[in-house]
Amino acid sequence: MENSETKYGRHIVQYPADVSLCAGCGTCEAVCGLIHEGVTSPSIKRIFLVRDTTMTEDMHKIYACQQCTDHPCYDACPKKDSAMCIDEETGVVYVDAEYCIGCKLCWKACPFEPKRIAFTLEKPRKALKCDLCRGRPEGPACVEYCQVRCIGLSDQPVPGKEAE
Amino acid sequence: MDQLYGYVGKIARINLTDGKVTHVPTADYVPKYIGGRGVCNKIFWDEVGPGVGAFDTENKLIFMTGATTATGIPTGGRSTMCSISPNNMPEQYCWSGIGGWFGTMVKFAGYDGFIIEGKAAEPAYIFIDDDKITVHPAGDLWGMLVHQTQKKLEEILGDDINSIVIGPAGEHLVRNSSITTSNDSVAAKAGFGAVFGSKNLKAVSVRGTGQVRAGNVEKILKLHKTMGKPIGKLNPIQYKDSFTPRPHINFPVPGGVKQGQVACSYGCNQHCNLILLDVKAGIGGNEKGRTNVVNKCVGIYAYKMMEDSGWTPQMSYNTPQNDYSGCRFISGDGFTPDKTDPALQQGYMERHLGDIVNYWDGDYDRGNVINDLCTQYGIDRWDVVVWYMSWLAMGKKEGVLDDIDFGLGMEIDPSSEEFMKRFLEMVVYRRGYYGNIFAEGMARAIRTLGMEKYGKTIYNGRISQRTGNKQMIPISLESAWGHCCHWAGRGFQGANDITCWLPIAMELMTSTRDAQTNTHHHDSFEYYLEVKNDPCHNPRVASSTIFNEHCAELKESLMSCEFQLPQVFDADIESEMYEAATGIKLTHDEIYQAAERNKNLFRAILIRNYGRTRDLEVGQVYPILTYPDADGRTVSWEDFNDLVDMYYEQRGWDKKTGWPTRETYEKLGLKDVADELESIGRLPDDRDKA
Repeated sequence: MENSETKYGRHIVQYPADVSLCAGCGTCEAVCGLIHEGVTSPSIKRIFLVRDTTMTEDMHKIYACQQCTDHPCYDACPKKDSAMCIDEETGVVYVDAEYCIGCKLCWKACPFEPKRIAFTLEKPRKALKCDLCRGRPEGPACVEYCQVRCIGLSDQPVPGKEAE
Repeated sequence: MDQLYGYVGKIARINLTDGKVTHVPTADYVPKYIGGRGVCNKIFWDEVGPGVGAFDTENKLIFMTGATTATGIPTGGRSTMCSISPNNMPEQYCWSGIGGWFGTMVKFAGYDGFIIEGKAAEPAYIFIDDDKITVHPAGDLWGMLVHQTQKKLEEILGDDINSIVIGPAGEHLVRNSSITTSNDSVAAKAGFGAVFGSKNLKAVSVRGTGQVRAGNVEKILKLHKTMGKPIGKLNPIQYKDSFTPRPHINFPVPGGVKQGQVACSYGCNQHCNLILLDVKAGIGGNEKGRTNVVNKCVGIYAYKMMEDSGWTPQMSYNTPQNDYSGCRFISGDGFTPDKTDPALQQGYMERHLGDIVNYWDGDYDRGNVINDLCTQYGIDRWDVVVWYMSWLAMGKKEGVLDDIDFGLGMEIDPSSEEFMKRFLEMVVYRRGYYGNIFAEGMARAIRTLGMEKYGKTIYNGRISQRTGNKQMIPISLESAWGHCCHWAGRGFQGANDITCWLPIAMELMTSTRDAQTNTHHHDSFEYYLEVKNDPCHNPRVASSTIFNEHCAELKESLMSCEFQLPQVFDADIESEMYEAATGIKLTHDEIYQAAERNKNLFRAILIRNYGRTRDLEVGQVYPILTYPDADGRTVSWEDFNDLVDMYYEQRGWDKKTGWPTRETYEKLGLKDVADELESIGRLPDDRDKA
């Protein structure tokens, strides 16, 4: 069994419902689009809220890029190091939209379901992927604006369990 | 077209009779009418004249979002619907707000709203698939419960769609039927579920993959951190030994309670909906007959109703030091008052206990079953719990129901889960003589059964905890327009005092339905101190009424929520929201003038289409005010009319007729409306001349 601490880099996590139940508001998705593109859209986002529509289960699910340390999306990119890049300091894989050609090979390479990469609406549809709001002094906006603090960073203590 | 912010630019016109879809530019209506309900009013004024009934093919149902919808502005995810309400008595033009994700998806599909016209020949549903709108047969869906319908539509169209649907109640034209979103938010009180049913419309589904561009991102982000003073605390699922949604509803639950809080609409920074997890389903549910139930306000009273809810002035009035919105109380977050606030020494936190009512004791399963049945059948939970059930409880105790046999095979007992299951099934499917009577809603049912005995019999089991006296109020808690008491100072949620229920009565007076889903009265505590001794002769009560009515217009035009606005000490909040969404700067005065315009256009519809007059509306709201409130207070006919005089005067409405003057219409840019009303003799001057 692989060690998730080495398999994934620093990434957004959703806490268990016993820590904080996702209220389903979608603010994480909204602020993601607002801060990066000035829009809200179910298409333009880097964090993915999957609502439990008929509420027969306990909770809504939130997914974001796991920042895989073997970065298959980066490896698949035909424009790697210009379109899909790795931040040397943090190891975060990020997209430079200027060079992205919208080939979707990164999306195909993403091992997760749902895929953690979305695309802009205008053609060529450029890849959108969580880079933990790279360069934003306050850190990831989704974490900052989550009203119920049900998401956080994987390397930070789970709220309420800091002492454990 | 120039870049649009907030709005997406077009409204769909969907004709169910011929399946045709056309588009109307949103710019025909905004910014003059702001959006939401204001736009609905204008469309209805232009397109639906007098003589049309709720179930007539000529009736239209107009669904509108606001400029804030889908922008991520807290509470902006809500939407509004307007149509002729079958649940109003008489049937009149009405509105109904709704949460959920549906309105947001409509915007993402590229529409600010849609107008539903005509009637489908067979059961149908509408699918808005981004730009493409189509009408489909819904024969397989007809008869399904609400959750079944939602699931089936996802199976048919994909799990990335969102729907509003009706249940069996709407199909059977039950007058208080609801329309329900995927997260069990409802538009219920106006009975628009039955309007859907009358048009053979089971559902509207939407897939929206587009975008909404925000006018001012920084302002939106700021609003997230300031609107409603969100506290950003953790929201763990809680496991409890008892059910305690309010201090006076508290009873142990064998097996425990599993609960959490959820948001009702896109981008909201609160979580005021209480979700009860893994509870007994009323119908359907999972393989174990379990489900989840969402509660906001009224549903909690299905669990226990021995005592009416209490009130403190702090619930309605704010001070600079203690300035909190209603969602805080609903979510159970409460607040710790600033004890240095001098208001605390002036009765600000004084608890006004609700009356002892002795309706039904605590039963967790019964409450969940009833709430789930209301959701699944698509019937207004408010009417069921507050009116049907309370009437059954009081009527039984007074012996009024002794000669009634519903044919349900058991004794009348609203505290019985099984009885309520059978009773609701009878109503929703219009089974038998009584099923048909109660499917017409309580106001009409009571009149059919006989008002004197079945409506006006006094209940002897109600005691005021404020005065110690027996509360001599009738077994049917009717207020006005076919709706029941709501923050009316008596009846249900009736512990608010005269400073609060008097303006609420005025707000109800100019409405066509219970207005307490958007006009719970709010003001500063200074208002309370100023008016409490003689509210009927203080012009501030009239101006406060108007302020709250304008806030209500804005809540459902911008799109916001009753439980975050008004922010009494932030007079510019609506302007800030509008600018954040659209980039358009409207001053406080400009945006409140738009609200006044919307209110006067609503008024014009009532005058033109339904002959609304002062005599009619004062006559509607006054009778319930003659019964004592929780403090034993009433209001005399003369005093109430003195207050109405002041209110009309401040509004620029003629005191004799209650009709706005030409000057008032023209000041608001509604000259064409004044002209039309003049042509039918419904401007005040004309009547005087006649």
